[in-house]
Amino acid sequence: MRPKLEILETSLVERVLDEAFSVLESTGILIESEDGFDRLRQLGLPGDQATRRVTFPRATVEHAVETAPSGFTLFDRSGQPFTELAGDRVHFVPASSALRILDRSSGVVRDADSADFVEYARVANRLTHIAYLSTAFIPKDVPSDIADGWRLYLAMASSEKPIVSGAFTADGVPRMGEMMSLLRRDRDDLAARPCSIFTCCPSTPLRWAEDAIRNLLDCAEWGIPVEVVPVMLLGMISPATTVGALVLHSAEVLSGLTVTQLVRPGTPVLFGGAPASFHMQLMTNPMTAVEALQVYCGYAQIAKHLQLPCQAYMGLSDAKFNDPQAGAETGVGMFLAALAGFNSVSGPGMLDYVNCFSLEKLVFDDELAAHAHHYMRPVEIKDDLPTRPLLDELLRENHLLTAEHTLEHWPEELYLPGPMIDRTNWDQWELQGSKDHRQRANELIDEALTDHDVEPLDPAIDAEIRRLFSSTCEESDVSLPELPG
Amino acid sequence: MPDYAFMNQRLFEGDEESVARLTEEALAVGRPALEVLRDGLIAAMRVVGEDFKYNRIFVPEVLLAARAMKAGMAVLQPLLTQSEGAASAGTIVMGTVKGDLHDIGKNLVGMMAEGAGFKIVDLGTNTSADEFIAAVREHDADLLGMSALLTTTMVYMKTVVDAMSDAGLGNVPICIGGAPITQEYANEIGAAGYAADAGSAVQLFKRLTAEGGEEVSASVGP
Repeated sequence: MRPKLEILETSLVERVLDEAFSVLESTGILIESEDGFDRLRQLGLPGDQATRRVTFPRATVEHAVETAPSGFTLFDRSGQPFTELAGDRVHFVPASSALRILDRSSGVVRDADSADFVEYARVANRLTHIAYLSTAFIPKDVPSDIADGWRLYLAMASSEKPIVSGAFTADGVPRMGEMMSLLRRDRDDLAARPCSIFTCCPSTPLRWAEDAIRNLLDCAEWGIPVEVVPVMLLGMISPATTVGALVLHSAEVLSGLTVTQLVRPGTPVLFGGAPASFHMQLMTNPMTAVEALQVYCGYAQIAKHLQLPCQAYMGLSDAKFNDPQAGAETGVGMFLAALAGFNSVSGPGMLDYVNCFSLEKLVFDDELAAHAHHYMRPVEIKDDLPTRPLLDELLRENHLLTAEHTLEHWPEELYLPGPMIDRTNWDQWELQGSKDHRQRANELIDEALTDHDVEPLDPAIDAEIRRLFSSTCEESDVSLPELPG
Repeated sequence: MPDYAFMNQRLFEGDEESVARLTEEALAVGRPALEVLRDGLIAAMRVVGEDFKYNRIFVPEVLLAARAMKAGMAVLQPLLTQSEGAASAGTIVMGTVKGDLHDIGKNLVGMMAEGAGFKIVDLGTNTSADEFIAAVREHDADLLGMSALLTTTMVYMKTVVDAMSDAGLGNVPICIGGAPITQEYANEIGAAGYAADAGSAVQLFKRLTAEGGEEVSASVGP
């Protein structure tokens, strides 16, 4: 069987869901936009114009859960099937939308530009255990109102892999949808062969902000897979306790899921989240707080109970630099995420409360992802039961290094880490140059950049995408950056 | 002319039966034993060493190749010792020191060294100074290797070094290894060498033994 972690009794999962359905049906969700509110009313949801709260009848929500797919396929840039998000298949993907980067040369935190993003995308494209890309940070050399689409373009131009993205502005999704549909025959083809997942975040507690509800509706209309990601702070804007937090979390995710299914039944939706704790002294929001990790594992179980794919912001760190805290928080998060069976784990590369992205961390986290995947291999009999013949051979030969059994199984059973996990002894380490983790990470990064072999976008598509941004740039009197060669 | 490339491939794949048979066939058509050794066996082990160094193959494959090399050597050995000089890269007596029963690392070193053409006399674990000395004399050893895993037993290495000197065997180089051992400790007790892992131990043996040159041994270490 596959190793797995369950923290809730099935009866408790059902009680949490009952309570979440009740919250949606009675309290409902505040829609902070008149257009959004009207649209949800048109979709058949009851609403109170005065309070702008929309309620979700239980039958409607349950029907939405039924129409939402239990899994879906992501396609690559060229339209080939890339991977399936279903069951307990785990994918690790860089976290999204950092404001700054940790410069890999100087070790200083700074703003990022488009060249940084291209470098990141090329490296992420080469990393084996980073399943697909995200629009990981925000380049500051383009106007902020096109930065969402510009990041997506940079990722599309630098990698064949699918991309987790999202819009910052109310009209961001249609523009990004147009960009992606240039890779397909038309909009319908994009919906049939999606190359992206868009993050849509309700505003805890029980609200959808103006831009967010518009983005959610637009994604559903375009058929773009969505991850609904509530960001709650335990003890501040959610109950401090796990069960109460899970009720609120579930209600918010199910509100988003229901909207997508009312717009376009069958739209893929990941039961997502980024629960954080609230630090009662510092007033910060630790994403990797141990109690938040419990909420994550709880809602994964709820998602699986509903037969929905799920997503989490795990495998990241709140540390400022790639220090022991970063390694510990990231490793713990990744392993818990894998054990919980999250289909899309957003986290690698990220530091400082999702504010700072580090390419050095990304290559380290790629190695951690490999470890987590290896740990998740099913535990099953592999020519080792009965065991006595093997032990007889061991006692006879004094080792099993050349045993048929070892030769057949060790390549799959005994994982050999890459250079980010140092397995040399002291002398070997000295002989190899006494390299610290930053040196080793930068060697891997340089190697990935040297080996970059992704074909550029079709020139006609490239020109058309850049045209989509040109009017905004003209208004702002800035030129679009040229991509590095 | 024997197909040495095919023989190399069989050795590389650890096919000891084929290597022994091909060695016999090469001798049967009149090829000199030293040529068969050089072109049929050592050439293959050189590739094994390179591939191990660059992570193309790993310990099990190296040991299988070493076992196949040994099968070929068994055929060649009588001819080489009779007419063309010793085929062995040297004789090494090795053991885990008195009080210590941990021999995994020592065994690995022995297997790797054997693959490089050394004759290994393995005294096992819990070996006293007298046993080391007797074996060195009996086998006319070119080198003595000792291992220890415990800080409490490693001190016995100095006892052996001193006893070897007192017995008039100070000219036999002594190599030591094991988790708590360092180059500094080797220097301190007067051991000729220290290696941190099996691969570098073989390199060390080759440097320290008079006959351990490239001509009759092959690299299996990094």
